[in-house]
Amino acid sequence: MATRMKLKLKTVFVLYFMVSLMGLIYALMQLGQRCDCTEHNMPKDRTISRLRGELHRFQEQLRKSEATKQPQKQPAKPTIFVITPTYARLVQKAELTRLSQTFLNVPQLHWIVVEDSPHKTPLVTDLLVKSGLTHTHLHMPTAKDRKLQEGDPSWLKPRGVEQRNEGLRWLREDRRAQPGGDNQQGVVYFADDDNTYSLQIFEEMRSTERVSVWPVGLVGGMKYERPVVEGGKVVRFHTGWRPSRPFPMDMAGFAVSLKLILANQEACFDGDAPMGFLESSLLQGLVTMDELEPKADNCSKVLVWHTRTEKPKMKREEALQAQGLGSDRAVEV
Amino acid sequence: MPKRRDIVAIILIVLPWTLLITVWHQSAITPLLSTRKDDRRDGRSNSQNAFALKDSCSLQNRDIVEVVRTEYVYSRPPPWSDVLPSIHVITPTYSRPVQKAELTRLANTLLHVPNLHWILVEDSQRTTTSVVRLLQETGLNYTHLNVETPRNYKVRGDTRDPRIPRGTIQRNLALRWLRETFSINSSQSGIVYFADDDNTYSLELFDEMRSTKKVSVWPVAFVGGLRYESPKVNKLGKVYGWKTVFDPRRPFAIDMAGFAVNLRLILSKPQAYFKLRGVKGGYQESSLLKELVTLSDLEPKAANCTKVGKQGTLHVLRPPESLEIFGCHDNLFLKSINCRLTANSLRFELI
Repeated sequence: MATRMKLKLKTVFVLYFMVSLMGLIYALMQLGQRCDCTEHNMPKDRTISRLRGELHRFQEQLRKSEATKQPQKQPAKPTIFVITPTYARLVQKAELTRLSQTFLNVPQLHWIVVEDSPHKTPLVTDLLVKSGLTHTHLHMPTAKDRKLQEGDPSWLKPRGVEQRNEGLRWLREDRRAQPGGDNQQGVVYFADDDNTYSLQIFEEMRSTERVSVWPVGLVGGMKYERPVVEGGKVVRFHTGWRPSRPFPMDMAGFAVSLKLILANQEACFDGDAPMGFLESSLLQGLVTMDELEPKADNCSKVLVWHTRTEKPKMKREEALQAQGLGSDRAVEV
Repeated sequence: MPKRRDIVAIILIVLPWTLLITVWHQSAITPLLSTRKDDRRDGRSNSQNAFALKDSCSLQNRDIVEVVRTEYVYSRPPPWSDVLPSIHVITPTYSRPVQKAELTRLANTLLHVPNLHWILVEDSQRTTTSVVRLLQETGLNYTHLNVETPRNYKVRGDTRDPRIPRGTIQRNLALRWLRETFSINSSQSGIVYFADDDNTYSLELFDEMRSTKKVSVWPVAFVGGLRYESPKVNKLGKVYGWKTVFDPRRPFAIDMAGFAVNLRLILSKPQAYFKLRGVKGGYQESSLLKELVTLSDLEPKAANCTKVGKQGTLHVLRPPESLEIFGCHDNLFLKSINCRLTANSLRFELI
């Protein structure tokens, strides 16, 4: 009995030992396998290190170019202050995105966005922060009786007046606090969020002394509207609609120097002006026609277009919403 | 004596198991440790390489936040990188009053995308000088092609007739150019994207599509009469359907700008083109994609298709009366032109 038990114990013991040994070997194999995994990640690591190397190179280049630019930096480029009124509608994010992508190409640009809203919306706030532009975010609601209602034609009431005036007010207050007083260099441009701007127009307007003007494409029912230039001076305006206005041009067709804005603290847009006289209501108090500076090759090139965006068709969306199956509201459009 | 032997036996049995358990325990922990170390390393280097962004909060007691960027590289377009895959953007375009405005706006967007190659295909008999000048002024890396749509395919009056595929011949020409220029054996990685000239694209979209292995998809806003259309993605990250109202039973119920294809896939299937004839409205994209990929191969982007990064917008002149004027003008222009079928367009008729 004792020997049989001993034998049994021995076999059990041997079995156990073999199993443990096999387990150990398996664990060691596991360790070996991890080595293979790290080899598998090598191409990714290599890519990452190459990208880091490139980034480092570009930063070196930037530092070198900044260093060489330093001595030439004295005549700093005048900043362009772009005032954009905006309001909430379906295509707002698309328009502002596109606009920010254009502005991102322009150096020394300060974007002043004024929302037609009683408070700042997160959509615009996030967009501005993500864009990486130098910006100021303001808001100013339009009074209800001055607002366009659903179904009103777009020309019935003037749009963006309160917002542009708020932009001017902030600009004046902000610049008063800056050193240099009224001798500050800068240009003020009113850019609506649905127009198209080429990059050259910003370089053209940077040299504005008082008020500069240029042609605007696809506006007023014409291929373009523009000031007619003779002998380097604006003599009249080529426009299809009410050419008898003091300044028959579109909001996107002129820029005012910051000095002029600061020197005339009361100059702003008049919301009560008749249709089409909005631009004149501001410019009348600032400049006369022969003081206008023609840009864009004596007003012969179209560098800005008065495009408009069609309202997206939401028939199916409305039908779905009536059934309670509308698109997820949590997704920002 | 048996007691001692028993004890020795027990020890000899238990020892390997404890060794095993400790080794197993360690092997389970060390992968975690290594990844955590990597994150820490990455985090430090990121803060070193990040551009300085200073937040200067309001000067007075107003809640106006002014953000000033202290460093920005104004090199347009960005320098070519040897590591990033290039994105080939195919844009068909045709002459109309807003054409230059649209192309300008699109170029302003594309100037921010590194390693971008813009393939612009005009619907015209020969390349127009204004487009040539525009392309040269932008400084973008581009290829300028042109092919005229034969008269019987051209849009007649109603620009929104879905039965006539617009831009198809131009896109096919671009695909053919890619196949003739790049050989399948080259190591160049690339992504092909069809971008119409009247849409809006966010910059994150181009980052998302760069990692496309076969075909990637994402939601598109303001299309199909909805706030947005998107692919339906299940928990495993696979596309199993389409969240659209307009014919969701299409094989690929997606807008032209809602997907991107890896260049290698395009090169490996040289017979895959957009179908010209007999294509129902909305089935254009399916006519190409069904020859390239199956539903299960699609890669959803934009956080599993929950973020909208591309919108379709259309442009109208103001005031509405002017549309008629330009519309008549265009029709006159079409009638007066002698629309001869060129050799190129004939070839695409056969495809």
